[in-house]
Amino acid sequence: MVMGDITTGTDVVVIGGGPGGYVAAIRAAQRGLATTLVEKDHYGGACLNHGCIPSKAFITAADVADEAANASGMGVYADPEVDMGELAAWKDDVVDRLTGGVEQLCEANGVDLIEGTAAFEDEHTVRIAHGGEGQGMETVEFEQAIVATGSRPVEIPGFDFADEPVWSSRDALAAETVPDDLVVVGAGYIGMELSTTFAKLGADVTVVEMLDDVLPAYEEDVSSVVRRRADDLGIDFTFGEGASGWEETSDGRIAVHTETEDGTESTYEADRVLVAVGREPVTDTLELEEIDLAPDDDGFLRTDDRARTDLDHVFAVGDVAGEPMLAHKASAEGIVAAEVAAGENAAFDARAIPAAVFTDPEIATVGLTEAEAEEAGFDPLVGEMPLRANGRALTMDETEGFVRIVAEADAGFVLGAQIVAPEASELIAEAALAVEMGARLDDLAGTIHTHPTLSETLLEAAENALGEAIHTLNE
Amino acid sequence: MVEQSFELPDLGEGIAEGELVAWAVAPGDHVEQDQVIAEVETDKALVEVPSPYDGTVTELHAEEGEMVPVDYVIATFEIDASDAEPAGTEAETDESSTPVDAGTVEAESAELETAEATEGGAEASEAGGAPGGRVFAAPSTRSLARDLDVDIETVEGTGAGGRVTESDVRRAAESASESGASEPASGADATPSEAEPVVVESAGGTKRERTLAMPATRRLARERGVDINDVPASEEREGEPFVTPADVEAYVESGGSAAETGASAERGASASAGAAAGGTGAGTNTGDAGAAASPGGERVPYRGIRRTIGEQMAQSKFTAPHVTHHDEFDASGLVDLRAELAEIADEEDVNLTYLPFVVKAVTSALKEVPYLNASLDEEAGEIVLHDEYNIGIAVATDDGLLVPVIKHADRKGLKELAREIDELATQARERSLPREAMRGGTFTITNIGVIGGEYSSPIINYPEAGIFAMGPIKKRPWVVDDEVVARKTMTISMSVDHRLVDGAEAAQFTNHVQTLLADPARLVLE
Ligand SMILES: Cc1cc2nc3c(=O)[nH]c(=O)nc-3n(C[C@H](O)[C@H](O)[C@H](O)COP(=O)(O)OP(=O)(O)OC[C@H]3O[C@@H](n4cnc5c(N)ncnc54)[C@H](O)[C@@H]3O)c2cc1C
Repeated sequence: MVMGDITTGTDVVVIGGGPGGYVAAIRAAQRGLATTLVEKDHYGGACLNHGCIPSKAFITAADVADEAANASGMGVYADPEVDMGELAAWKDDVVDRLTGGVEQLCEANGVDLIEGTAAFEDEHTVRIAHGGEGQGMETVEFEQAIVATGSRPVEIPGFDFADEPVWSSRDALAAETVPDDLVVVGAGYIGMELSTTFAKLGADVTVVEMLDDVLPAYEEDVSSVVRRRADDLGIDFTFGEGASGWEETSDGRIAVHTETEDGTESTYEADRVLVAVGREPVTDTLELEEIDLAPDDDGFLRTDDRARTDLDHVFAVGDVAGEPMLAHKASAEGIVAAEVAAGENAAFDARAIPAAVFTDPEIATVGLTEAEAEEAGFDPLVGEMPLRANGRALTMDETEGFVRIVAEADAGFVLGAQIVAPEASELIAEAALAVEMGARLDDLAGTIHTHPTLSETLLEAAENALGEAIHTLNE
Repeated sequence: MVEQSFELPDLGEGIAEGELVAWAVAPGDHVEQDQVIAEVETDKALVEVPSPYDGTVTELHAEEGEMVPVDYVIATFEIDASDAEPAGTEAETDESSTPVDAGTVEAESAELETAEATEGGAEASEAGGAPGGRVFAAPSTRSLARDLDVDIETVEGTGAGGRVTESDVRRAAESASESGASEPASGADATPSEAEPVVVESAGGTKRERTLAMPATRRLARERGVDINDVPASEEREGEPFVTPADVEAYVESGGSAAETGASAERGASASAGAAAGGTGAGTNTGDAGAAASPGGERVPYRGIRRTIGEQMAQSKFTAPHVTHHDEFDASGLVDLRAELAEIADEEDVNLTYLPFVVKAVTSALKEVPYLNASLDEEAGEIVLHDEYNIGIAVATDDGLLVPVIKHADRKGLKELAREIDELATQARERSLPREAMRGGTFTITNIGVIGGEYSSPIINYPEAGIFAMGPIKKRPWVVDDEVVARKTMTISMSVDHRLVDGAEAAQFTNHVQTLLADPARLVLE
């Protein structure tokens, strides 16, 4: 302890105020634990400040403009103009409202908020450096700690996020103008969401991807729907190329260099290059050595199903605790950690974690694919419903995509679903519930769905699996 | 050294659990492969569980007296790594589908052992259950399992398609806890007993207007042609009766009305508890009401042989429509012949009772009426006429009725039958019957003579087609040449599965038996 420090004591210290950390803090406080939440940057973490929320704000605005501009089939003609400055201001307002809400909720639940960067001093002490030079330090002694330090975008050699023309996803979401030409490195979900968004906002987008397809984590028939739409939007794709560096050109723009495996080089002119090649867990600020805790080879803190690290009184939740790096997974783990810290018999035993990609159309998945089900030893039974056979989809002029349900053949238990459709991110909730509840195809098919809605596709897909769909042919 | 967990192997015949009667080893003990490590009372016998490994016992995960589900990890071993050298290549064996009997446990486990060891023993295997150890159950149910300390992967689901329900978890918790006998019958804690579903009835016992059930259950009810509001619910959700597929099946099996009778009997019982329970009881668990109504008393765990018998009897009675036939015959000839032969047999140390004579006569009659040496394969929609005559003999033991089987009774003489019956009965009483000795029966004989009474209505040892009960031989009035005289007669009672045969065949059968036993010299010719 350094002279002059203030030392306080707490039952639980939560490090990081993202969806993992703030949820854990509120739940811990609800359970009567004296709880301190330390955040070095902004409450709400990556998700609220430069991830899920701002990206969805941009995506929605881009969609509104794009749909209005492309509704002539319905007899609607418009030429919308997007004022990027106003859009950014609106987005900031949304973010502020939410982050302010997080802060208020924490306080209302009696969570002590401390702004600063926390690092372990020993097994029961963290030192918190307040932001900025000379802001001072304080020390918090704790019984239990919940580490929720999240992740950050991965940097690749030759591209430094500190350089103006090089964007991380965070920079892209803080943009005040739309670049004329944008090179996006990486065709994963963040790369695809932002490519689509900026293309709709008027940028000429070129996507450079090392692998040979977009959204490599998804099945081919799923990603190809998004790929086709991206093609229609005029997004150029180059596969099998890695970005190797960039330089400023004479006219104030940039040239992005790429290389194939066999050394063939290409150059793309642009105004900005967005590097979205993945995210890595943040542990380096924590001085974990002080408590003899080491991240695994991938940089994550290993946890058991109680969200506990190798130290029984230190929990880790969210992106820092492993894949999938998703906000709702972070929150779910945060709940478990807080409840276990409060002495409850909680555990993370979710059967499946849904995931959504806010491309056009959206992709959402939960549980097992057919191949995964087979691999797991199930005899999969699959049902599909193409969007073009759904009334609501037609009235939305959205006919690309499908809903697929994977069940096991014995009793028809639902194991997973893959959806490519508008609002897939909403539709997946029902499938997630089905998987968690151990519902059967019969249960889905026997539940009346509102007409005309996209949700009817789930019923139809279940019926199709049972060989009795009404609106599609059952092979 | 490699850590190995050892799961209670599948012991066949659909047995989901057994009582761990005794450990033969303690942590720290060195064991050799095949060495008996535990005794588990499963179905109708004590099964000795052999160690699959050479190694050291590091931990035992079940207490003596605990009900242990099949596939539950009962012990952890530390085995020599050299021992675990992979012998086979196929990791996964099809252990879930084929029941194993005690004899093959070792081989099966040995395969598991190599499978796990191949992976460096890093992770406990997910043997058993659905692939990937997946259990289909709602999050709330899984959380309940955690709270009740139940490993949900070992719980047998009775919900739609085998889904694990809340009451399955409670049942598992209850059978795991040993406190059954001492726990007070407090209303809040009273969980449904294992015996039969607690009937959750609507207020006043009138037909429900509303029933909670999963869509798949409603569909099942529709397919079975029953009104879901009539089905007694075994569970409650949100204070409302919740009907499971098992409830529907049980209701259908009971003909739709037997269950109702049960329900009204329950109702009768709770009615005496006063309006408090009955009147406000929308969704009141009448199990609680029953507990409140009955004067407190000892609560004895329902398990082991008692429960197996109960379950089998219930299944038989609810599946096979029984028709019972009674008769009596003059047994003087039998008495004389037996007395004569018993003396001779005694010289060879054979205890010749009446039973071997009855076995002979019954076997002969089975050949006359093949539909009674048969069983109904409902799934295939076929009647299976057996080509073996394996006669089960019901033996009363301290713990309940056991039924060892005399294989190929038709090929055995009286002396051989006498010897075998004697041996099986002794083993049954000593509880040392090998499991094999209780399998494969095609017809059962029960001797009610020893317990007194005249007639009975025996319950068929399902899926057999009939059961023959011999009553006591004693002097009774008998009409001979229009005069009533005292004669030694034997009463017989016989139940048959009316789906397979009619009363006439039952009579034909008993007539044949009686003809042979009344004139037992004929038996010698058989
Ligand atoms: C562009 C983009 C779009 C996304 N879209 C989605 C989406 O649609 N849906 C979805 O589920 N997920 C999405 N994500 C992912 C989601 O943002 C993360 O999974 C989620 O934020 C993880 O939450 P967390 O609490 O683990 O970490 P974070 O949200 O990263 O929060 C960690 C917090 O800890 C703070 N911190 C770190 N170290 C310290 C320290 N030593 N002391 C004090 N504070 C510290 C950080 O400042 C940060 O605020 C998106 C991410 C990005 C980048």
